[in-house]
Amino acid sequence: MAFYDRVLDSDILAPYFEDVDMRRLIDHQTKFIAFLMGGPASFTNEHLAHVHGHLGIDRAAFDEMIATMRETLEDFDMDDADVRAVIHELRVRAPWVISAPGDESRQASA
Amino acid sequence: MDLDKFNRLLLESAGVGLALAEPQSLAVAFANHRFTEWFPACAEEATPLDELLTGLDVERMRSRLADDRPYRVELELKVGRRAMTVTVDVKHHIGDETDLLVVECQNITKLKELEYMVESYSKMVERQNRDLAKEKERVEKLLLNIMPRTIYEEWKEFGVTAPQRFDDAAILMLDFVSSTEMDIARDPPALVAELNDIFTSFDRIVEQFGGERLKTMGDAYMAVCGVPEPGPDDARNIARIALRMVRYLERRNPAQANQWVCRIGINAGPVVGSIIGVQKYVYDIFGPGVGLAARLEALSNPMEITLAEDLYERIRDDVTVRSLGECDIKGFGRKKVYTLEGMTDLALPRHDDW
Repeated sequence: MAFYDRVLDSDILAPYFEDVDMRRLIDHQTKFIAFLMGGPASFTNEHLAHVHGHLGIDRAAFDEMIATMRETLEDFDMDDADVRAVIHELRVRAPWVISAPGDESRQASA
Repeated sequence: MDLDKFNRLLLESAGVGLALAEPQSLAVAFANHRFTEWFPACAEEATPLDELLTGLDVERMRSRLADDRPYRVELELKVGRRAMTVTVDVKHHIGDETDLLVVECQNITKLKELEYMVESYSKMVERQNRDLAKEKERVEKLLLNIMPRTIYEEWKEFGVTAPQRFDDAAILMLDFVSSTEMDIARDPPALVAELNDIFTSFDRIVEQFGGERLKTMGDAYMAVCGVPEPGPDDARNIARIALRMVRYLERRNPAQANQWVCRIGINAGPVVGSIIGVQKYVYDIFGPGVGLAARLEALSNPMEITLAEDLYERIRDDVTVRSLGECDIKGFGRKKVYTLEGMTDLALPRHDDW
């Protein structure tokens, strides 16, 4: 999973993933991306809030995740429109994933 | 460049983790760069293999190697932030001057991750297939309520069904004389519940004799035998169904406040059966066979079953009737009509008759 290689290279994101069980994470991520693209799985916003709540994710980490995902998709030569669609779907879920107050100026510029 | 140095460089630069160990003590004598990166403890002098590679089954390894077979194991480890899966292959190498264990480690993390992903996806698809199958079953059940199974199978396979002529369908039309007089304003839900109860029992009777309930219209009920599968006993079965329905109501009424009094017309004759409608399907039958059954029902006295000479002639050996004389039936001319009073054989059909 090229995405997780990048995630673990990122000082902002790596701490969230260091002790995670890869098998479970890949399972969730596969389902989640499938769900974003209309696939046979479903996640409610409440579910997202529930599983991310205890992680204390802030806006900076969320943006970093978005950037990492975008680069990964681009490097796999995904169609621009598809990349935009996935990124858009991820972005609109920010309120349920972010649970820690971030740097306000960063938030405003995002 | 001497050969030793070249060999060493070659081993160092390989993408796999390589180590050489002493067969008895398992002390690591050499480890390449990759191996050291994955198992940093080997930098210390002569660390034994089983200390480095947790999960290595020394006993099993020795027994495999003694049989001159390689030993292989998969290990999970963590290098920095990354969780990794490596395969470890151990071979016993005995040369002229050397006696060594060759340990080769391959990074299969990516393969494992891919495996997890495929597993996850296939589970998702499996689950979706299960959900679909469940949904299909529900739809099928629903559709089987409005059309016979053979018609449903045809419709499923071809997307359409051809109207079909049945020369000798046996039709039953039932209506309630009393329900219009019942005080429906008093307790409509109770009335509907009662009707539901009665029709459900009728359905069971019809089914027992191999018939099909075609439809209900308000408090009217229509059943048929021999559509879409003609059988040898359809005419007699429709008479049995009619008698059982009357008997059911006769037994039910005494204990109830509402008295359900029916009128039944039965007939056997040609009909056309077809699915009608594009968006709202219903399987229905038409034709003179149906028309006459409806006329006979209208002629019927309360709690009686009326049939005309056509059907009577065919089943006369098995039924007892009371003649109602000749009647002018609109669209069918003058016909002798009868009230069905009983049957010599009212038992449920044997299974091979179905």
